[in-house]
Amino acid sequence: MMALKLLWRSWRGGQLGLIFGSLVMAVVVVTSVALLADRVERALVKESSNFLAADAQVRSSREMPSQWLVEAYDRGVMTAEMALFASMVYSGDYNHLASVKAVQDNYPLRGVLTLSETPFATKPEQFQQVDHGPPPGEAWVDSRLLPLLNMNLGDRLDVGEVSLRATRVIVEEPDRGGSFSLFGARVLMNWEDLAASGVIQPGSRVNYRLLLAAGDDDLADYLSWLEPQLAVHDRLLSPDEAQAGLTETLAQGRRFLLLAGSLGVVLAGIALALASRHFAVGQTATVALLKSWGVSARRVRALYWQQTLWLGLAGSLLGLALGWVIHEVLIVLVRELLPVNLPAPGWRPWLTGLATGLLCLLGFALPALWHLPALSPLVVLRRDMPVQLVGAIRRLLIGVVVVAAMLLWYSQSLAMTLAVLGGLALTAATVMGPGWLLLRLLRHLGNRAGSVWRLALGNLWRRRVQSLVLLAGFASAMAILMTLVMIRTSLLEEWRWQLAEDAPNHFLVNVAPHELAGVEKLLADNQLQSVGWYAMVRGRITLIDGQPPSEELVDSNEALRRELNLSWSSQLPEGNVVEWGAWWDQLGDFSGRYGENVAPVSIEQDLAEEIGVTLGSRLTFNVGGLTFEGLVTSIRSLNWDTMTPNFYILFPEGYLEKFPRIFMTSLYLPQDQKPFVNELLREYPTVLVIELDMVIDRIRTMVSQVTHGLELMTLLILGCGVLVMLSAVKLSMGERLQESAILRTLGSTGRRILAVQSLEFGALGALSGLLAASGAELALFLLQRRMFEAPFELHWALWACGPLLGALLVGALGVLYTRQSVTRPPLQVLSGL
Amino acid sequence: MIEASHISKEVATSAGTLRILDDVNLKVDDGEALAIVGPSGSGKSTLLGILAGLDLPSAGQVRINSEDITAMDEEGRAAMRARYVGFVFQSFQLLPSLTALENVALPLELRGDAHALETARRFLERVGLDARWHHYPRQLSGGEQQRVALARAFASQPKILFADEPTGNLDTVTGETINNLLFQLNREAGTTLILVTHERVLASRCHRRVELQAGRLVHSEAAMPVNS
Repeated sequence: MMALKLLWRSWRGGQLGLIFGSLVMAVVVVTSVALLADRVERALVKESSNFLAADAQVRSSREMPSQWLVEAYDRGVMTAEMALFASMVYSGDYNHLASVKAVQDNYPLRGVLTLSETPFATKPEQFQQVDHGPPPGEAWVDSRLLPLLNMNLGDRLDVGEVSLRATRVIVEEPDRGGSFSLFGARVLMNWEDLAASGVIQPGSRVNYRLLLAAGDDDLADYLSWLEPQLAVHDRLLSPDEAQAGLTETLAQGRRFLLLAGSLGVVLAGIALALASRHFAVGQTATVALLKSWGVSARRVRALYWQQTLWLGLAGSLLGLALGWVIHEVLIVLVRELLPVNLPAPGWRPWLTGLATGLLCLLGFALPALWHLPALSPLVVLRRDMPVQLVGAIRRLLIGVVVVAAMLLWYSQSLAMTLAVLGGLALTAATVMGPGWLLLRLLRHLGNRAGSVWRLALGNLWRRRVQSLVLLAGFASAMAILMTLVMIRTSLLEEWRWQLAEDAPNHFLVNVAPHELAGVEKLLADNQLQSVGWYAMVRGRITLIDGQPPSEELVDSNEALRRELNLSWSSQLPEGNVVEWGAWWDQLGDFSGRYGENVAPVSIEQDLAEEIGVTLGSRLTFNVGGLTFEGLVTSIRSLNWDTMTPNFYILFPEGYLEKFPRIFMTSLYLPQDQKPFVNELLREYPTVLVIELDMVIDRIRTMVSQVTHGLELMTLLILGCGVLVMLSAVKLSMGERLQESAILRTLGSTGRRILAVQSLEFGALGALSGLLAASGAELALFLLQRRMFEAPFELHWALWACGPLLGALLVGALGVLYTRQSVTRPPLQVLSGL
Repeated sequence: MIEASHISKEVATSAGTLRILDDVNLKVDDGEALAIVGPSGSGKSTLLGILAGLDLPSAGQVRINSEDITAMDEEGRAAMRARYVGFVFQSFQLLPSLTALENVALPLELRGDAHALETARRFLERVGLDARWHHYPRQLSGGEQQRVALARAFASQPKILFADEPTGNLDTVTGETINNLLFQLNREAGTTLILVTHERVLASRCHRRVELQAGRLVHSEAAMPVNS
């Protein structure tokens, strides 16, 4: 109670305003960022759930054991079974090798099916969205199947022995985006018709899927039960795994959200440390007085711990509430920019906000107050007695440890934590050394200038320790803001580049050599342009280092079970990087060095790792019954984001040409030219078309959501940065007020004092901006290289805008405060000392 | 009774060891008013701090009611101060965020007195500030602030009151008023008073006067008989 009483009185006396404000701001920023990040992330996860049409999916080549379904039912997990297979479908005299999907009624468990009653519909008003599969006896089909089978909606088509009525066309399937293994036009039918069709025979190649959906806990519970039951041919897919290419984009977005959040924490920490220092100075006299009355050190400590705790709780709770309000307001403001309904947040952002508030107090407020209980009561008699503060270096270390712990918690990435901390440390180092030199230089320059300049720059030098601290505060805050803004823009640039408006959205595969000229002509007739043709040969890996791969390895690696697309290229394809070994041109004369008929091979690194292949491994390939050997001479990483054909296995020219080959390419097909696919398939029925435009649309939606979310967060953090500056300026304000009062008593005009102060702050701001630019450049170097894999270049805008904006911002703040000091009567200021 | 024997205080400075107090012996009886006088820098305030248990001597002993406070740790001395000691300071030492009433009540509240506010109000009345109890220190003049400080010191009814230049920051007339009040309250409460001052007039109102010069007690005289 006593602690609460003291706290209330300090609050009323205005001593806690700054510390409480900083704390609330810290929690507001973190909470709103965390809430937004959580909800955006949930939206993204939900989007990627749509890719699975479920929260998780089991894929298998055998039918799902009924026990799994029973167990799922018992545990409150929704299930839907699904079978995918290729089958000839017939209508009259026409047939097509369709990719058939038989689904239970409740498919899709997540996301919706978009259908239309108009074939090749492009207008949204022609679409209907449903959350169930076709009823028994009906089939929903790809538009392009209709001309292929020369039929109309309402006509019947045969799948094996069952006859189904095609009632609607499929515009979009939630789980179709990434599945490139089934190439024919889609026929969606009901699970109940599957048995009657008789198309599935023992030995048929069928891909069974079990869709699962439930609340987080139930699902996790079920999956932990399920996982031990999975055989080698069963594969469990979580949303993250569902889209290999997309996962990287998602992860990049998530990292950036977390980065934005963490930077908010750092800024809040700085503000809180400054405010706490200010508070502690004010508490010295109080504590000395209490101790002179016989209040023990232990009781003083308890009183301050309790006050800190109460303050922390009150600030955190208010911060949580305001954080919610602000994040809601921001969401409402940009609702149009956030095209999805954001799901409700989980408990984590609340915990994050609360914990951040308490941890900030622990890391930034308590070290500043730590010395108080040990304060000598003698201070009541001798105010000039030195006070044993917790050392600045120790306070800094505690702050850094707390920040690091929080960064690590938020990002779960040591690399990111170190990069952010490294950027800050470099900024601090950049400030302390050159800052001192610059201040000195300014003083010399000031001595040769007019009296206002001389006074202003002399003040900076005279208070150089304080100036350096302020410089560090301003420069760090500005460096963080600059870093954030620059990352945001460079990241977006990179994304825009990756997903250019005309990025290829269709793959054409399986084009025979004799069809190549015809397909090319068809493309040209339609003013379409491919990225160029890639020849490939279908072949299997049969032996690794002369041994057949183990059964287990074959079971767990599809690449060893099916034919791979082998290709050749003299140049390293774009987006490929040789991680180990050397590209052909550095191998010298290879022919015959390792034996007759041994070819150098370049293999993709993930595949190499999965099948246990390293540099120097020998692989035996079987192409159409002919075998030959390859020696792994390089291991490549691929950039899947380019949307151009990529190959797991590449040979130099001159080894594969003798085998029968087929061609593939990718191209950009505008939405209004979509019927071209149909035209192409009519003329060349064996060509396989993979439609990527749907996938690209999804990625673009996500990128736009994430980008706008980030811009909001940046604005919040900008506000927080300004708060840091305010508390830093306020910390030195007492002394400045006093000086201004003395100067005025000596006859100086208020205008002149204002000029001196704004010059002083302006110069400090300009220096901060300059130093922040260098700090930000260093942080950017680290972050861009390590996190975003972007090429590094100098950011000239930083060096130009930093000093200017710094001078304006800090100068304006200076004027704002000093105006108060010229309006207050000097006697009042001086008698308050 | 306070008994200080062979008190020395040395501090290390960049110029070597500085001896602030040198073998000071002093005895103050219960109810006695003692003035410690001497020029600036003679060690008056240091001696006061040591007698009150705020500081430790480099050598020597201080006993309060036969308890050797120099042998106690800080916690022990804090407990002793809580039991016996009150202070009045030259710079008033009022907490700026507390009203006059709260300033007076604070020490009482800290020791868990359920009637802290009532007692505080009574003492504010006693020093003539009952109409100003809700004012903050910044709204009070220097003399009024010191009256609040006096009310605070006497409200907790200490056995011994230490006063460090209680009128040092006040003009002569106001100082005189405060002095009158201080001695009046002291008499009423029967408190032992030890005050540091460089004002001869104030010192002469005490029962006894001791003079410090360069850390040594050079002179001791009874100004007035005790209990008169």
